Amino acid sequence: MLSEYTITYKTKNKYKKNTKKAYWQFLIIPETNDSQELVSFEFSNSENILYQNSINGYGFLVFRVHSTNESFNKIYFEANFKVIKKYTNLIDYTEPLDITKDYNKLEDVNFKIDYNTFLTNTQLTTLPLNGKSLFNFNKKIAVLDNLTELNKWTNTYLSFKKKVTNTKTTLKHIIKKKQGVCQDFTHLFCAIARANQIPARYVSGYLNQTSGYLGDSQMHAWAEVFVPNIGWVGFDPTNNLLVTKNHIKVCHGKDYKDCSPLKGIIHTKGDNITKHSVQVIKQQPQQ
Amino acid sequence: MLARVANNLYWMGRYIERSEHVARYLNVNYFSSLDAPNELSQSRQFVLRSMLFMVDKPEKDEKKILNEEEVLYQIGLDPSSPFSILNNVKIARENANSARDLISQELYEAINKFYHYTINYDADEFKKNGLDDFTSNVTEMTGVIRGKMRGTLLHDSVYAIIMMGINIERATQIIRIINSKCQDALSAQGSYQHKFSKSFEWTTLLKCLESYDMMRRIYKKTPTSISTLEFLILNPNCPRSIMNCLNQICNNVKVIDDQKEKKPDSTAFLVGKIRSEFRFKRIEEIDENIYVFIKKILEDLSSISIKMEEEFFNY
Amino acid sequence: MTNISNNLFSSYVKNEELYDEIYDSNGDIKDVYKKLFSLYGEHSLTNFVKLNSKAKASFFNQGITFQVYNKKATQEEIFPFDLFPRIINPEEWDIIEKGSIQRSKALNLFLWDVYHEKNIIKDGIVPIDLITSSANYLHQMENLDPPGGIYNHVSGIDIIKHKDGKFYVLEDNIRCPSGVSYVICNRTALKRALFGVFNHYQTYSVTNYAENFLELLETAKPNGVDIPNSVVITPGIYNSAYYEHSYLAKTMGIELVEGRDLFVENDFVYMKTIKGPLKVDIIYRRVDDLYIDPLEFNPESVLGVPGLFAAYKKGNVTLANAPGTGVADDKAVYTYMPEIIKYYLKEEPILNNVKTYHCSRPKDLEYVLEHTHELVIKPVDESGGYGISIGNKLSKKELKKVKKEVKENPRKYVAQPIMSLSVHPTYIEETNSFEQRHIDLRTFTVLGKEKEFVLKGGLTRVALRKGNLIVNSSQGGGSKDTWVLKK
Repeated sequence: MLSEYTITYKTKNKYKKNTKKAYWQFLIIPETNDSQELVSFEFSNSENILYQNSINGYGFLVFRVHSTNESFNKIYFEANFKVIKKYTNLIDYTEPLDITKDYNKLEDVNFKIDYNTFLTNTQLTTLPLNGKSLFNFNKKIAVLDNLTELNKWTNTYLSFKKKVTNTKTTLKHIIKKKQGVCQDFTHLFCAIARANQIPARYVSGYLNQTSGYLGDSQMHAWAEVFVPNIGWVGFDPTNNLLVTKNHIKVCHGKDYKDCSPLKGIIHTKGDNITKHSVQVIKQQPQQ
Repeated sequence: MLARVANNLYWMGRYIERSEHVARYLNVNYFSSLDAPNELSQSRQFVLRSMLFMVDKPEKDEKKILNEEEVLYQIGLDPSSPFSILNNVKIARENANSARDLISQELYEAINKFYHYTINYDADEFKKNGLDDFTSNVTEMTGVIRGKMRGTLLHDSVYAIIMMGINIERATQIIRIINSKCQDALSAQGSYQHKFSKSFEWTTLLKCLESYDMMRRIYKKTPTSISTLEFLILNPNCPRSIMNCLNQICNNVKVIDDQKEKKPDSTAFLVGKIRSEFRFKRIEEIDENIYVFIKKILEDLSSISIKMEEEFFNY
Repeated sequence: MTNISNNLFSSYVKNEELYDEIYDSNGDIKDVYKKLFSLYGEHSLTNFVKLNSKAKASFFNQGITFQVYNKKATQEEIFPFDLFPRIINPEEWDIIEKGSIQRSKALNLFLWDVYHEKNIIKDGIVPIDLITSSANYLHQMENLDPPGGIYNHVSGIDIIKHKDGKFYVLEDNIRCPSGVSYVICNRTALKRALFGVFNHYQTYSVTNYAENFLELLETAKPNGVDIPNSVVITPGIYNSAYYEHSYLAKTMGIELVEGRDLFVENDFVYMKTIKGPLKVDIIYRRVDDLYIDPLEFNPESVLGVPGLFAAYKKGNVTLANAPGTGVADDKAVYTYMPEIIKYYLKEEPILNNVKTYHCSRPKDLEYVLEHTHELVIKPVDESGGYGISIGNKLSKKELKKVKKEVKENPRKYVAQPIMSLSVHPTYIEETNSFEQRHIDLRTFTVLGKEKEFVLKGGLTRVALRKGNLIVNSSQGGGSKDTWVLKK
């Protein structure tokens, strides 16, 4: 079954002083993959500056806006996407015959080399010394089952609360506060998965919130982990969910820093204020 | 050529030229006042005020007694006064630094030596008895630098941009010096011997612009207001006249903008227009209201500079 | 003649413990130096002092200076230069040149491999930590094919001669190695001061570096570009190596740009000229990896060009050196160089590697902690001679501190036996005489597509403080002209 979504991403930027020269890069375009397809998009801004498409360092499509002459102290951007999400049976998954074989695979050097990017911890995904024993894998049950447990554990260990953390908050702080938003849930989940040799990547995207899931009307974050014999599997620790039809992926990376939706280089003095909003609307299901 | 670097070369030319004019103005005014024919022109206060007026920092308080050493230091070597010769040289060298790959080693070395000479000059020595030594060296070194520009740079757009800066600055400084000296002549006028038109200040003015000898060859008489202004403003053969500068600016801009048809909003067009207006001016018209004229020409020069910035230096 | 008896060198004291470049294995002065001594001997000491200060003034007036910041004000100082040249005979140079090329090529292949298939790790030649725990490994470079297949267009390889008379490599610099302009300036200064001396030697010229460099750089141009437009990018006039950047741009005849002079439009790079935008195809960059593109790396960078990396990834511009080369000049990678050379080139290494202990290995760590007093401890990811501790120069308190630091961050350190750098007569101003001082040699190797070039000379750096082994200019080092003699 297919479902169609309309996504609207808006951002308002206000600057204290007038500015002329600026660059913005938006990493907000839903990717096309096995479970979703980007059907169409529109992108505009209040100053009518032309935009360009480009590919960032990790291979994801971005919008780039480069202003040179127009002088302004505020600019609004709006993007609209139409995405078709394929409804897939969670995972085509049967209990593996030999659990130890999967764990051995994780220890294999070639495996580690191929997935090194998502096994390496970054500043935002480094567990503090006391964090290593927070959650332990049970080698007697399947890898996927452990991850499901980890998802549940992360969801209970942290409680969802806005404005106690920011995009630079480290795990040390998050573990101590036990509070945070989707980035923090995802960073913690990824760090523990990686500590157990499981390749884990940070995913940025949109969440259909009509189903009552937690998010903060901005972009959502979740994790994808590589499970031997299955492939990449998405977990949403903020909502204790397996990722399915309600998650629309934009990009992935090692952590938030690789996925930050808006990057701006603005040559101006004084402060600026940026506001984002995201709306995801599900259309009538199609046959 | 990079727009930013072109901008730096242009200002390098301007600041080098500016430091020369300021230095010469200090020197000539100070030393000619020593034996000036009337009391006011001899007065030290009068000369110091004239100097401050010339660097666009006029002393408004008429009663204030200026301290000679302070004023000389302020205009010569004070690192905290933006118009000092020291700061002009500093900026000129900084601009040269950023265009080092485009200018000749010889030119760079000359500018660098100039810079080290200026920043290492003993300020106390300067205030007490170094005025002549310092200012004559500054004018000499700028002369060397101009020689290196002419002789060691390819006469292409790099050269044209530098010369553009030099010529615009020269025209600006000429007019500023004329303005100062008209002020001085006005203040110094009094009895019959000290009439405005026959003021001693016209000689000083010509000397400030190293044009006294040239002028004498043409007019063979003691300079008057009319003959001096005519010579310094309209004579195309005097290398220190406004007309001559405009002609050069016209040639410079042709090198930078080699299009045959000049667009109406281009620098080349604007320069051509200003020059044409000038070529058919008579000195009597100018003399009628010299201040209006001065204001107009300063505006014209600044409009050329702004146009250049828009057209070539936009980065 | 073992003792030197002429005006200039009469007080030269030979320390038998050190390897002095001017003596042969029998303890006799080498012929090439004998001649040099007699030529220099024609000058009186006063005369020599005069020449020396003239040469210094020439550097100063040319503005070949760097900024020194002290409490009062910034000052300009020249990079100290010694008028007594170092001579390298053709046989020795052969080893250095071949060895430098071999290393540069092996490093290039290593970089391609670690950013693609990673076979060298899969085959167990080097451990995976070399990439996973290196701060200089750029994940954005994975599976990206740099134009021409070149990563380290320029490599600066630091070579020393040990007591045993053999050449050892101390360090490979393949990020933005600097110093090449000094090689040329030193030659110019020496020629000005002592032109007569050159008549007696057949020395290779060093002034051809720029043209060779540009030619090779252009072999690695982006696909589809016919005649490339190349530029040098600098952080600006306040950078300590600005003179070199401007020198290279000038001698290569290409523009010297700053980040703000460039912009990216539809993944192509342009520079802003007085006649509008002009496309740029090759960028020789002297700006560090993390500053080249604020949209991709450090967002605070004002030195970079937003969108540059995307243009590079698309293959529309060549960056030299490629981003991410730092992973291979890590001191931990250094220790595997003999294996790396054998693995990719199937050759024996020509230049020796110094035995290195990895503090990350428990056994090595144990050895290092026991023998700290006779080892050099180096942080793995610093350059410029920073953070180096020389065991036998440390007080008890300092030793203890170093040991503690190593124990806490073993991955951060490697240790090597204290290498005795060879010495060379050097004029010392304080004593007004020639004395032995330690030297090394930085060679400059340029890799192009199927072609390479080593500057015949290189930068001989000399540690001016007596007994000092660190030659970096930031640590009080100077330099000498280096003559490679023709066969």
